[in-house]
Amino acid sequence: MNTGLDVGSTTAKIVRLESGIITASKVVPSHRWKELLEYGNKRDTIETIVSTGYFRRTVPHTAAITEITAASLGVRYYIPDAQVIVDVGGQDTKVIDLRNNTFLINDKCSAGTGAFLELAAHYFDIPVESLGKLHTRARRCALINNTCGVFAISEMISQLVGGYTMEEVICGIHQAFARRIAQMIPPVETLVLIGGTVLNTGIVESFESIHSSTVVVPPSPQTVNALGAALYGKKLRPEI
Amino acid sequence: MTDTVGITALIPPELVYACRHRPLDVNNVVPTSSINPRSKLCAWTAVWRDEIMEGGLDIDSLVVVAGGDCHNALVDGQKVALSGVPTHYFFYPFDRDPDYMASQLDGLAGFLGGIKNKEMFRTISGLKEKGLALDQLRVDDRARASDVFSALISFGDLQGDPAAFEEVLDTIPHTDVEYSSRVALIGVPPIYPDFHEVAESFGLHVVYDELPYEFVRLGGNDLQALAGSYRNYSFSGPITGRIEMIRQELDRRRVDGVIHYTQFACHHTLEDEIFRAHLDYPILTVQGDLPRSSSEQLKLRLEAFSEMLEVMP
Repeated sequence: MNTGLDVGSTTAKIVRLESGIITASKVVPSHRWKELLEYGNKRDTIETIVSTGYFRRTVPHTAAITEITAASLGVRYYIPDAQVIVDVGGQDTKVIDLRNNTFLINDKCSAGTGAFLELAAHYFDIPVESLGKLHTRARRCALINNTCGVFAISEMISQLVGGYTMEEVICGIHQAFARRIAQMIPPVETLVLIGGTVLNTGIVESFESIHSSTVVVPPSPQTVNALGAALYGKKLRPEI
Repeated sequence: MTDTVGITALIPPELVYACRHRPLDVNNVVPTSSINPRSKLCAWTAVWRDEIMEGGLDIDSLVVVAGGDCHNALVDGQKVALSGVPTHYFFYPFDRDPDYMASQLDGLAGFLGGIKNKEMFRTISGLKEKGLALDQLRVDDRARASDVFSALISFGDLQGDPAAFEEVLDTIPHTDVEYSSRVALIGVPPIYPDFHEVAESFGLHVVYDELPYEFVRLGGNDLQALAGSYRNYSFSGPITGRIEMIRQELDRRRVDGVIHYTQFACHHTLEDEIFRAHLDYPILTVQGDLPRSSSEQLKLRLEAFSEMLEVMP
């Protein structure tokens, strides 16, 4: 069995592969990553664990790979001709151009990371998971400049004072988020979005509205890196 | 009496020695400095500025290099000058004019009190031959990149003592290097003191250090030869010349990928897009700010780049 374990800054994910078929996958908060090792584990089989994510070296592993390689392998499983991947993480965002093997990581500015959305949700005292649903209720989008996550809160307040609703401000936040990341994205026809943040449909919609590329979200975008890690394990030990 | 002359970027060290002075590249203290600059754009210039003004660097005078090489040095150098340190400003000709270059070298020699020991030109030419041989040694996988980088970066001032420096060069270990990929490092030198060691730990063999290679590539046995050579200092001229030279070196050194180090608030950072457009190699851009050991973010980038070069089709 090939196991991919992705323990990131916010969530931990596992994907198990048997003969190249996904037999189990699960997501838990990062601090509960140990639970994943029991999930879907058949003790009588030989197991290769490939880890990825911030905690890749501190969790049990046969081999450890970076999220860049894991994302590249995981996305290609679903979309073999993928060109550019945007992996939106809790603390950073990665743009991977598979056409020339280059990547960019934004980890200096929260405005293009999941932390930015957490900040906005915290301001409204709502769960971050509800942002996507609220976005769909907006009849217009408030303009939030894509500068800095902390200063964006000031802009949100200004727009609320100016008469925009919470839903319209959330829409503006999503668009500011997508604009910030768009600065890192090279010209491409099709863009693949992965990471737990893209479960938020407001984010995907914002990317579609401001980017000329076609936006594709693979199945289970949150566990793609864990899948990529498992696939790397299969490369290492093709016999299991 | 030999005075110590602080230099802020590349000037011919052979000329300083020929004037019977000792050059000290003020950048060499920056990566391990604990100074937190009072005001800064680029930490490279702000740290040496504060080191000098707070008495951490014992120099008798300062030569500030600007004119294309380092714009921030011009202002920070003037702050040092206003604090009372005798300061001279040195400019490279952007148009490669040999007469202008010669006049700049004449002016520098005048500031340093005139040439008194012409033999130093030949002595240092000999040392540069050793430097070039060392550079070739790592291209041939016979020396560690971290050792060679440390040696080549010291060619800016020859560590203040050419004879002692020659002994240092002679002790660089020759060893077979194992690696997963060959990479070039272009741009200003990383402000992280352990950059090459960290790259090595991820299987990246740095076979080209763009700026230190300039230090050993340029030279001459008299003032006229120096003018002809140093006017081609690539960092101070049009970027087209740099692109051409980098391309040649990437090909000659058989690199798999390029790391472009950029320094926060440095005008050279803006060259990144140009290199990406004109160099047909996988490129990793990393940016540093204050001097310190390599961050986890930097390590992630180097590790991922190594994996990309090795694993990805």
